[in-house]
Amino acid sequence: MSKSTAMKSRPAKKTPLQRWLRNNVGFFFVLLWLVGFLVFKAYPFLSSLVYSFQDYNMFKGMKGWTLQNYRDVFTVKQERTALIITFKYAFMTVPLKLIMALFIAYILNFKIKGVNFFRTAYYIPSILGGSVAIAVLWKAMFNDDGVIHMIFEAFGLQAPHFLTNPNWALFMICLLRVWQFGSAMVIFLAALKGVPTELYEAASLDGAGKTRQFFSVTVPLITPVIFYNLITQLVQAFQEFNGPYIITNGGPRGSTTLMSLLIYNNAFQNWDIGKACAQAWVLFIILLALTLVAFWSQKHWVYYADNEQ
Amino acid sequence: MRKQGYSVMMAAAMAASLLGSAGMVHADETSADYEECTLTFDWWGGETRETATVAAIEAFEAKYPGITINYTPGEWSGGDWESTKALEYQSGAMPDIQQTNFDWISKYHETLGNLYLDLNTVSDTLDLTQYSDSDLATCSDTQGALVGLPVAMTGRTFFWNKATFEQAGLEVPASLADLEAAGPVFQEKLGDNYYPLDLGTYDRAILAAFYVQAQTGVPIIDENGNLTATEDQLKDALDFILRLEDEHVIPTLEYADGEGADSIDKSARFINGEYAGIFEWDTAGGKYVTALGEENGANLVVGNELTDMGPAGSGVFSKVSMMFSISAKTEHPHEAALFLNYLLNDPEGVALMGTERGIPESKIAYDTLSEAGAIDSLQSEAHEAVMSADPMYWNPLFDDGSLKGSTSAYTTIYENLSYDRDSAQCAADLYSAYTEIAPYAEVTAEAESETAAE
Repeated sequence: MSKSTAMKSRPAKKTPLQRWLRNNVGFFFVLLWLVGFLVFKAYPFLSSLVYSFQDYNMFKGMKGWTLQNYRDVFTVKQERTALIITFKYAFMTVPLKLIMALFIAYILNFKIKGVNFFRTAYYIPSILGGSVAIAVLWKAMFNDDGVIHMIFEAFGLQAPHFLTNPNWALFMICLLRVWQFGSAMVIFLAALKGVPTELYEAASLDGAGKTRQFFSVTVPLITPVIFYNLITQLVQAFQEFNGPYIITNGGPRGSTTLMSLLIYNNAFQNWDIGKACAQAWVLFIILLALTLVAFWSQKHWVYYADNEQ
Repeated sequence: MRKQGYSVMMAAAMAASLLGSAGMVHADETSADYEECTLTFDWWGGETRETATVAAIEAFEAKYPGITINYTPGEWSGGDWESTKALEYQSGAMPDIQQTNFDWISKYHETLGNLYLDLNTVSDTLDLTQYSDSDLATCSDTQGALVGLPVAMTGRTFFWNKATFEQAGLEVPASLADLEAAGPVFQEKLGDNYYPLDLGTYDRAILAAFYVQAQTGVPIIDENGNLTATEDQLKDALDFILRLEDEHVIPTLEYADGEGADSIDKSARFINGEYAGIFEWDTAGGKYVTALGEENGANLVVGNELTDMGPAGSGVFSKVSMMFSISAKTEHPHEAALFLNYLLNDPEGVALMGTERGIPESKIAYDTLSEAGAIDSLQSEAHEAVMSADPMYWNPLFDDGSLKGSTSAYTTIYENLSYDRDSAQCAADLYSAYTEIAPYAEVTAEAESETAAE
């Protein structure tokens, strides 16, 4: 081998910068996302914490540091009511939605004729998601001249003012989200398909009926999925905005003013940024606490197969 | 060679002068020099206003070649437009020319500091002599800068659907007594779903203010920014609103809002005649005529102010309907003023703009439209009804953000009143909401007139 050939084959010595670039090239792939995250997520997130301790109106400026914004959430009637309504909404919507999703998934897990059509049909409302159009449709259906009232009238019944009666309005908003159970249903369906059939056969041999099989075999085995759906639905419920904003705009008499709507109103109607940020942080802390409680509780009711080891 | 040198120098000088004047255009008709530029302009309003404004923009661009107007029309949409504008003001990015609201002077211009250009600085281009001194004073800020030009003055009046009243065997109401008497007749002859009048929460707030003013004879919030009504007087006004509900003159809010219509002109109940009256700005009649359609639109007639509301008459107030303002940051104040003058004072622009923003305050605009017979009779009548009722002063604090808005005091209190019927509690809440922004001061009609005389 000639000298020149040997020199060519020897790898050129890399500078420290080149070595650093080679070792950290992945960083550049995520750089754009990272900048977006820092500018549009991390910075607003942290600055909202600072604002939450300020008496700060966008047009009147910052008047000073205060804890009053946080006190107001629990002492001012309007804010306390919004907090209570948010809990009511979440605790009505989440269980109803999970039960509905599991129930329909259980039925659709049987080998019945046209099952794929039904699966698609039940999933469609979820594709529409939290869209404005679906909220407008809901409003049109349940207002006094809507199709639901017409059905009541066809049977000679007097329907209540669904959207302007404070006793009904929140329930109607809940119903919109319960109806959109498709995503949770698909996840349940996948979990149901993962339950070994031999367990049902064994339970059947032991004399267990369908109901007993469902509660003693199916439910325990899909508890991880129930847990997952519970967390995601809980987070969604506490952040609900479109429904009450479009359908009732928080009314009647504030009966559908959830915390998210109150935050929006304070920030972009009253320009009370300090108050809105404090409310957002209270909502965040509540969600965090509920999630932590749910995670803590899972050791008592969630069954993981690998725990048996 | 020397001659050649002179020639080159002369040619260079000519070229330099040509280059120097590049972009300057001389419009023969107006003798107004202007620079080629692009101006931005936005406004809110419905389709008919958009059509008229766009026509005027196109005509302006044809008359002043080189000036391009980039325009953005929008819907008011329950205050979303104002929210957007407020954020623009906060960020400092706003159009060169914009349609503005009178109360924005105190709300945004004074708070954030000099958002709008002092129009006195462009009075060589913008003809201010077409406006009365009081108009110009009204649209000035506390420093005396003229920050907007009033397009029109406006006030609230009643519009009645004559056909529905005829079905009930009644004339359209000429007085409060007539109106109150119509409620039971409507219920009996036409059915539970027929009402002589429909009022939203803000309409109720204004009518209650009229009622208070009709009793006291002074503006509910006076020129010094003081509330002039006591809690008891507010309670009387709220009882008056409750009485209208009880006598089937207006529907309860539970019933009215149950329809889910965004506004009265989109209400099927109004369109099919179940609501036979509205209480609206005098400039707004046109959209209700459109809503009623060609056949029924002619049945909408202007009502007079209800002069038997109290000892002081109807208690009506009037205010600047809207203004046009120029941004203080515009790089082309002269051209912006030229455009504004075209819209407001140039007979050609005025004719194209029509009365889409109300009966114009500009004298030349009013004369131009009157001579052309272009002032809509319904709008003219409604305007006359307001102005002939000796309207009182209106303080922009009446529309303060804490009072007016979907989650603000008027909405909350008038909803509570309609649902709970507790006028004492609602009066206490209303008094508290008012005094938060306008401290109470006892002002009598006599003292007010003495002050005015001074």
